[in-house]
Amino acid sequence: MFLFANATIYIGLAIAIYSLLIITFGISTKNQKLINSGKGGMIALFVCASLAMISLFYLLATSQFQYEYVNDYTSSELPIIYKLTALWAGNAGSLLLWTFFLTLYMIMIAFSRKMKGNPMVPYISAILMANGVFFFFILGFVAKPFILLDTVPLEGKGLNPMLQNPGMIIHPVTLYLGYVGLAIPFAFAMAALILKNVDDFWIKMTRRWTIIAWLFLSLGNIFGGQWAYVELGWGGYWAWDPVENASFMPWLTATAFLHSVMIQERKNMLKIWNISLIIVSYALTLFGTFLVRSGVLTSVHAFANSNLGLYFLIFMGIAVILALYVLMSRYNLLKRSAGQFNSFVSKESSFLVNNLLLVGAAFAVFWGTIFPLVSEAVRGTKVTVGLPFFNKVEAPILLSMMFVMAVCPMLAWQRSTVKNLRKNFTIPAVLAVIGMVLMVVLGIQKAWAVIGYGVIILLLITHFLEFYRGVKARRKMTKETPIVALYRLMIRNRRRYGGYIVHLGIAFITMGIIGSQNYDLQTMKTVSLGQSIDLQDYRINYERLDQKKEGINDIVYADVTVFRNGKKLGTYQPEKVFYGNWEQPSSEVAIISSLKEDLYIVLSAWEDDGKATFVVKVNPMMNWLWIGSFMIVIGALFAVWNGKYGNVTPRYTGVRKEVS
Amino acid sequence: MKNKLYLGLLVIAFIFQGSFIHVDAKQIDYKSPEFKAVAQQFACTCGCGQDHYECDPNTCNLTTEFKADLVEMMNKGWDKDKIREYYVNIYGEEILTSPEKSGFSLTAWVLPFVVLGAAAIALYFIIRKWVKKKGTEEIVTGYENTDEEVESEIFSSMIDEERKKYL
Repeated sequence: MFLFANATIYIGLAIAIYSLLIITFGISTKNQKLINSGKGGMIALFVCASLAMISLFYLLATSQFQYEYVNDYTSSELPIIYKLTALWAGNAGSLLLWTFFLTLYMIMIAFSRKMKGNPMVPYISAILMANGVFFFFILGFVAKPFILLDTVPLEGKGLNPMLQNPGMIIHPVTLYLGYVGLAIPFAFAMAALILKNVDDFWIKMTRRWTIIAWLFLSLGNIFGGQWAYVELGWGGYWAWDPVENASFMPWLTATAFLHSVMIQERKNMLKIWNISLIIVSYALTLFGTFLVRSGVLTSVHAFANSNLGLYFLIFMGIAVILALYVLMSRYNLLKRSAGQFNSFVSKESSFLVNNLLLVGAAFAVFWGTIFPLVSEAVRGTKVTVGLPFFNKVEAPILLSMMFVMAVCPMLAWQRSTVKNLRKNFTIPAVLAVIGMVLMVVLGIQKAWAVIGYGVIILLLITHFLEFYRGVKARRKMTKETPIVALYRLMIRNRRRYGGYIVHLGIAFITMGIIGSQNYDLQTMKTVSLGQSIDLQDYRINYERLDQKKEGINDIVYADVTVFRNGKKLGTYQPEKVFYGNWEQPSSEVAIISSLKEDLYIVLSAWEDDGKATFVVKVNPMMNWLWIGSFMIVIGALFAVWNGKYGNVTPRYTGVRKEVS
Repeated sequence: MKNKLYLGLLVIAFIFQGSFIHVDAKQIDYKSPEFKAVAQQFACTCGCGQDHYECDPNTCNLTTEFKADLVEMMNKGWDKDKIREYYVNIYGEEILTSPEKSGFSLTAWVLPFVVLGAAAIALYFIIRKWVKKKGTEEIVTGYENTDEEVESEIFSSMIDEERKKYL
């Protein structure tokens, strides 16, 4: 097994190098046979990565503790699902997963029906293969997944209990799919530049892949937040930790690209800018990995510190330099086709402002994340840049972004006249102002909340009007029923209406964030048996403290009965779990969730006489966050779904070159 | 530990009883907004990566004592800025969860907005250039109204659909 597993990695590396060379050679000599050989190498590489994955899954599932990785991240009593998912608990395994996804994507591109006959394929393949070489090199020489220990331990060290949660099964997988996914638009961009062909087909394929990567990145962050909320007993979902920032930055730049590419599509402008956004997004995924795996910054996402990050930094450096070189060498070609704008007030301009804010937000995150290093380098003081900083700096930028999002759908392409603006904005603006006044009257008086919700009201109305007008226009011509008209309207323009659904999802998430950040209540109280804690409308009666044993873990739990306005909601059991093979205990919180708010109860401590300390929180509108997240997924899927009317990705019909 | 804390508070209360300014020592909820405002400023150095408001006193000894000290100062009537100043004088800026708004650290706060502002100005000039380039003599062929735009889009998609049927 040892030989087999390692062979998959080293043979993989050899194949990757071979394929890269043969494709490059094939491109330069225009020899289709060589290209085909390289493509065969891709399949072989995918097989290698799959076999390596299967080997590691097998070793983990059968608890072969003589392997360092198995020993480090599992133990024999671990449920089988967590034994398997321990594959991405550590450095080497998670990079193997990354590599596997990369080879999977490669195959999907190189052998896609739509890409058949496309001269970009060899270039894209070569660029992705260069990534493949890098990852197999890392697996072969830096973070090796299959290392044998000198002695065979009887028992493994176990998996960090925090990671034993359904959220953790899926969070890394989606995040890596997003990270790897951004390599695809990058490869497309580079191929297009090299071929001097940034055409319609390129835009559509790149956009489609960017949406897919974007969706996975969003999912990765959402699952991460959800996991933090239920598992960490802290009651929050986003801490602006360097690792979170690392995945948020490419998300912002990819979002910017998805919008600005529309200007390229319509007006054949912003080509350089769009390609730069793709390069930056891709580079940021590598930069994020460098941050996480190098230990240069303190993070709660503890990956063992190693020199691994350095390799990523070097790889990123090379990739960026080469990409910039290619971009510069094609600069004149791209610049030549620069178009014009008709007016300051137009959809085009609003997309540019959107880009400004998104990239600005990404820069602010970047700057905050690296500032400790900058400060240390400049004056020798390593400062912490934490939550208060990011909340203060990002809030105004992202809120302005929401405003642009609210206004943009109502602006016309080319030029919005005053008459047109008045017609489109009078009702939404008046309603938003009425909403804000009502909020103040009803007691919502915090400035951020009033402005934020006001902007969201505007957003909801403008988006509603978009749907309403579309349906009305359709009905005028077809006399369909409203539902049919809405359905047909949407499936005939998937990208536009999918995008609007995503906007609505973001609005819901923002409502949740504003509510939970501004109106949360907390208390920490020590009470005796039979006593109660009051918070807002809730009364929590502390009734029993006991302990039980589950496997090798000891669990201390409290029975609490919760009343809301005197009405009994039920009995709940917040727990503290002490693990047989892990030093740190963890809290299993009791969450009573409703659309209005979550009641979050943590059993914090207890004494021999039965007194117990609870942390009780009321987190308003948490469910709105999860509903919004769901809408984002629906919207993004709707936009990329290749339905009957989906003209999202046409088959390549351009000029045939000698090699493809 | 709690008892010790209460005892400490009691002692402080006793001492301050005789002072000119009478301050009541009160029990402070570690999760109250007033405590949050103070404690959130300081990073816990136990390796948890959290601030002293979030760090769990049951698993971290460091924060237990730190929190007690904060309560003591709050009971003395110190406000969050004074407490902040006190700790920065002892430990330096490293103890804070966000950089100071002075000296070199000010750049952390200001730079994102400076860059954003500069980019906004640049954007303004770029759009102006593009609009100017267009000239005035050309007839605006675009839609002046979103209603028409939506209608025409739907109309063309329907024509497209019909056309496909007969191809």
